[in-house]
Order: sequence, then C-alpha cells, then structure tokens
Amino acid sequence: MTAQADRPDAAPSGSVGWHHRHLLDVDGLTRPDLELVMKTADEMSEILARPIPKVPALRGTSVTILFYEASTRTRVSFEVAAKNLSADVVNIAAASSAVSKGESLVDTVRTIEALGADMLVMRHPASGAPYLAAEVFGGSVLNGGDGWHAHPSQALLDLYTLRSRLPGGSLEGRKVVILGDVLHSRVARSNIWTLTAMGADLWLCGPSTLLRGFEAWAARGAAGRRFTVTSDVRAALRDADVVMALRIQKERMASGLLPSLREYAARYGLTTERLRAARPDVVVMHPGPMNEGVEIAADVAVDPRSVITAQVTNGVAVRMALLYLLSGTKSGEGA
Amino acid sequence: MSGMTTAAAVGALITRTVRGWAVDPAAGREGAAELEIVDGLLRRLTWLEGAAADGITAGGTLIAPGFVDLHAHFREPGNEDAETVATGLAAAAHGGFTTVCLMPNTTPAIDEPSVLAAVTAAAAASGSPVRVLVHGAVTHGRKGETLAALGELADAGAVGFSDDGAPVRSAPILRNALAYAGALGVPIVDHPEDPALTEGAEASEGYVATVLGLRGWPVAGEAGAVARAIAILADVVRDVPGARLHLTHVSTAASLDHVRAGKAAGLPVTCDVTPHHLGFSDEWIAGARRWAWEAMGEDGRARDPWTDGALVAPPFDTSLRVNPPLRSAEDAAACLAALVDGTADAIATDHAPHTEVDKHVEFGWASNGISGIETAIGIVLAAVESGGVPLARAIEALTTGPARVLGVRGERHGVAPGLREGEPADLVVIDRAADWTVSADALCSKGKNTPLLGRELRGVVRLVVAGGRVAYAPD
Repeated sequence: MTAQADRPDAAPSGSVGWHHRHLLDVDGLTRPDLELVMKTADEMSEILARPIPKVPALRGTSVTILFYEASTRTRVSFEVAAKNLSADVVNIAAASSAVSKGESLVDTVRTIEALGADMLVMRHPASGAPYLAAEVFGGSVLNGGDGWHAHPSQALLDLYTLRSRLPGGSLEGRKVVILGDVLHSRVARSNIWTLTAMGADLWLCGPSTLLRGFEAWAARGAAGRRFTVTSDVRAALRDADVVMALRIQKERMASGLLPSLREYAARYGLTTERLRAARPDVVVMHPGPMNEGVEIAADVAVDPRSVITAQVTNGVAVRMALLYLLSGTKSGEGA
Repeated sequence: MSGMTTAAAVGALITRTVRGWAVDPAAGREGAAELEIVDGLLRRLTWLEGAAADGITAGGTLIAPGFVDLHAHFREPGNEDAETVATGLAAAAHGGFTTVCLMPNTTPAIDEPSVLAAVTAAAAASGSPVRVLVHGAVTHGRKGETLAALGELADAGAVGFSDDGAPVRSAPILRNALAYAGALGVPIVDHPEDPALTEGAEASEGYVATVLGLRGWPVAGEAGAVARAIAILADVVRDVPGARLHLTHVSTAASLDHVRAGKAAGLPVTCDVTPHHLGFSDEWIAGARRWAWEAMGEDGRARDPWTDGALVAPPFDTSLRVNPPLRSAEDAAACLAALVDGTADAIATDHAPHTEVDKHVEFGWASNGISGIETAIGIVLAAVESGGVPLARAIEALTTGPARVLGVRGERHGVAPGLREGEPADLVVIDRAADWTVSADALCSKGKNTPLLGRELRGVVRLVVAGGRVAYAPD
C-alpha cells in the first residue's frame, strides 16, 4: 500500500467510498480509507454523547462474535458497538462451543453462516485465521485480533485517539514510540501500518529479544513507511510525542526472552522519571490489559497525560464505524 | 515429436522412434538426436547433424534420461487418504520420474523389513514400471532413541536411512547410525533441523514472517544441524571410510556454505535442494506469486512485495506451509547457485501430499508439505528459461546427480540414468514449447496441495519410459 493524497472532504458519511468487504488487516487500507474511518467514528462519537446512544443503522443485521481467545475489553467493545447500532448479537466463546470438540474453523464458520450471521467478528490465536474464515463466509469478517499478526480495530482506535489528542489532529512528523514486547504483539504490527501511513516518525523499542525480525522489516520498508528499531530506551523516549507501552507476559521469562520482570521494569518500564525525556505534553497509551509496575508505573497509567481510558471509550465509536462501513458492502468486492 | 505411431498402455513394452533435443549427462552430451526404441530396448541413438538436425532446438522437444527422485512421500501404509503407492507412482510418471526413493515416515514407519516389503509389494501390484526404492528409518518408530533394524533393512534393499519429517535429534545416535550404516554401504539421509530452535515455527524467520506475525524458523535451525552433522561425519569417517551423509531439502545459503566447505575438505557429504525452495520464496505466503529469481532486486537483495505490487493472492495459503519453510529470495538464489556450482548434487521433490482435512485449516496448524512431484520439472525448466541454471546441469541434477548419491546400492536396483544403446529405454520426452495448467484434475497425485493450482507451467511431459515400459503416454 502506498499512502495516497489526503482527501479530507472526499467521502460523505455512510459507507460511500468504502470498498472493503472484510477488515482482516490494515496493510491494505489507503489513507483515504483511514480518513473515512476517522470521520465515521466522529459521527459515532456524537451518537455516543446522546442520552440514548442508539441508532437503528444495523437493525436486522446479525453480528456473531466468535472469540477463540479470552478477552473482555475487545469482545465487550464490539458487542456494545453492535448493540448501539441495533444489530442482533450472538456471542460464541470457543471453549463453550463445538470448537472444544475439535470442529474445524471452516465448519464452525459455515455453521455460523447457516444460522443467519451477516457479519463475523473473530479473534483467534493463529495468525491469518480470519483469512480462512473470509474464504468460506458469505458476509463480512472483521478481525478482532489474530495471533501475532493484526488487530485492526485496536490500531484504528489508537489512531482515532491520537488525532483527538494531538495538536492539529495530525500525526505528520510526530515521534511515536511503541515500547515493550513488539515481537508477540499484533497491536504493534497493525500500528506500524497505520501510523506510518499517517506520517508518524515511528520508533519501536524494547529488549532485542523482543524486537527480532523488526530490523528486517524496517530495512525493507519503502520510503514513507520507514521506522526506527532500537533497544536504547533513552534514545527512543527523547522528545517523544506519544509513548505506547505494551504488555509483558510472564511466559516470556520461561522461554528465555527476558531475565526477569524486575529487570524489565527497571530497564524499560514506563516511569514518571523516564517520561521526563519525552515532550512535556507526551501522550501515554496502553492497549491493555496492563501489568502495572512492570511495563507501566501505576502513577503513569493514571497521569493526566494518559489516554488509556479514552482508548477504551473511543474503541466503541471506532468499532461502530467499522461495523457500519462494512455492513454496506455485503455483496461488494473482496478486501 | 515425430515417429510416434501407437498409443501404449502403462506397463507395456514400447516401440517408438523419438526425435528431439537429447540431453545425456551420462555421456556428457546434448544435441539434436533420434532415438529408436524397439520392444523396450534403445536400439539406436543417432546424434543428428547438419540438415538432419534442422528445426530441432533445445526449446522444443526435450529427451532426457528418466528422472530420479531421492525424496518422496507416498503415505502408504497408514495414510492412504493422502496418497497410495499406486497414485504416487502415477504422479511420479506424470512428472517424468522413473525412479523414486520413498521416505519411511509411514504408519507404521519403515523400520523393519516387513514394512518395506509391504511397500514394495504395493509398487509391484500397481503395474507401474516406475522403479520404487525405499529409505528405511534410522531409528525405531523414527523416535530418535534406538537404531532401527539397519542391517536387515539393508538386506531387504533399503537404499538409505532417514528419519525424515524429523531430524536425528540425538548426536550420539546420528554418530552411531553414520558408522553402522557406513559399514553397510548405505548413506544416512538426514533432515537437518535443530528442533529446539524451530519449535512451533510457521515460516522462515525474517521480514515476511515478521510482517505476517508468523513464528520464525531461523536459518540457524538448519545451518546449525548441517554443521553438526558434517562435524560428526568427519569424526566417523576416519574409522568407517564407507560412512556417507546426504543432507536433504537444504534450504539456506548458510547451510550450503557448510556443505561446500565439507566437500572442499574431502568429506563424503552430498545434498539435495527441492524445486519449491528454488522457485518459491517466503513472500508467496504474503500473496506474491512470482518466481524467486524474479523477486531479486538489482542490488542482490529481495524486493519488497508490499511496495512493488507483487501481492496478487490472499495471504496465509496453507499449500505454502512446508518444512523446511520457504525461505527468502536470497536463500532461494543461493540454492540455485549451489545447484549450478555442484554443491547441491540433486534436485529432490520432497513430494508431500496431504488431504484437504489436513490443509484447509489455520496456517500454523496445517500439515507441512507440498505435493510437488508433478510440478518439479516445470519449476526447474522455468529456472532454466530464466538463465539461472544451464539445461544440462538441471537435467544432471535430476538424473545422474541423484544416482551418484545412491551409489552402488542404486545400481543394484538398476538405477543408471543415461541414453545407452542396447539397454532398456529409460527416458522422458518433454515438449518445452507447450504449457499446461496445474489443476486438481490434471494432477495424478491425491495431494492437491500445491500453490501452483491454476497456474500455467511451461513444459509438458509427453512420454515416460521406465525400464523399457511405458510409464506415462497420454498421446
């Protein structure tokens, strides 16, 4: 994908101008696509500000939420978003379905379609699984996170949150740092596409064991899609406009990627002191769930510069926008 | 092709005269030729010159000795849904192969003579004249713990020992196997992989795997195992001069450097590369479909498919899940270079058919393997056409190269690729100017798991004769 010219006024509200039947990844979204999601999310935010935040846009549309991984935040966010649009929502947690009896993903998706689903929101531990679902599902598939690969709605809500917080609403030239376990992070991967598409000066920072492969990506990315990879946290945070901390999981110690959580917190944890290197008005983000005291200090998480709760609120608006945009493309072209 | 008179049934002795561009690595010769086959015997081979050779070019009808595949999986016994010996042999013939060496990772594994005999019996019952040779397992059940019945398997005709599908994990077992098999005159055919470095791996570690969020299979996971095996070989061969190591499906530049150094040191090490590691690269998993050599930039580095418009198919196609994984275009180029300079002795297909049930699943959960025995020559000829490897060298790597790896044990089974008068004809005739479309229907293998489905391949196999008998003759 190459960033196209900015067309802020080109797309009217609604799904006009939206051509993706599925949302499986963000690598195929053009800058106008991203602008359209932002603009639609603005409209959804206005709806959310009403006393009764509900519109009939998706009345009669059946949305199935199929999660093969535990999740509260994302699953509930999609559910609230769909209900705000008056969709019928079916929730399937993989552990309580035929999946635990060994049913294949393909069979599960065909069954969900036969039961009348128009849209499928799915989360899956295997990278690429939503592509398999999209191959057999007649409606639209919305990727709610697949393996280490992509988390499109998270990247889009991060983008939406940043645009509302940064002066002028622009990421052009802004130094954005993603700090932590980049290797295992679908959030980081999706943010690489969207943030560089919007012109951010992106830095990935963490212990080198958790950055493996990203140097190769940074080196191969074409002009305009470049980013910086470093294990030097001071260099990364210096004059940063935005810092996004990523969750560190305990399993990383068992596989020898890190000596200890204590050492990680001491060297890479986002503390008030470390944040002094950043710009005074730095925006602090975290996709959640947080390990306070490990990748982010408790006081930083609730600092006025933190937008972590705004990320959650904006998540509903952005997911409403995505469901709405995709609902207009049922027989449209593939993603 | 002129002189074709009768269509013939599989298994029948053939009488036919064929004209075309003959390549005979055994004689070190290529050129326009006419071959007269009578009752299965190559009665006369005439190298044509002057006016008689008019119109015959290397780009037209190609005649070569029947191909020898050092590495194929026919899934029988145990997984006949994926392939049987009979369907595998039909596929082999369609691909131009007149000799196949089957891997022992069946269920049960070929770790004792009775299982080997069952495979040989299935081959005889198939009616195919394609020669079936068998690699026995190195260890019981391919578990890597205790040596399989190596001596008995050798007596029963095993041409190699391999735990393929898995490496010989234990260094002491590998060392003992090299010594014991060496005394029997049988090579160890090792699948080089350090399982500790590749646990859970889905794609070659690097740019493409990183972008797609696939767990990385590092180059060191193969190169380290290759270095270890060669070091052990060097140790063993001092005491057991007959010890021989063949490394199969070598896929990285780093591994090939170790093999090159081992050969330079005079060690009895050989290796093969697969057509898919020559022709495809990891960017295919992202949706690219250009040949690996087309993915190389002017600077000798792989191009970026995300920025140069090369992504034309959906990503995560499980027909591309294979072990070792598809590598970078740089590694594919190194495989091609190794083929040219002789570091790679053979092209082996690693034909690995799978059922839809095992492949139509999440990428990381799909079975490893590509159904490749029918498309091997198409990929190789595409490499030839690109200028990456001379035609004669490519044919050598499909015929006399693998025959040398098998050595005297192969000869004992009649493996002697060459166009020799007075011997049973064993050859393939290919129309290099014609195309065919790879499709589920066009493939004889039960395994339709190839990323080439729907693609046109240049080079149509017109006739295959094995041991004087028709193996494949659609016309």
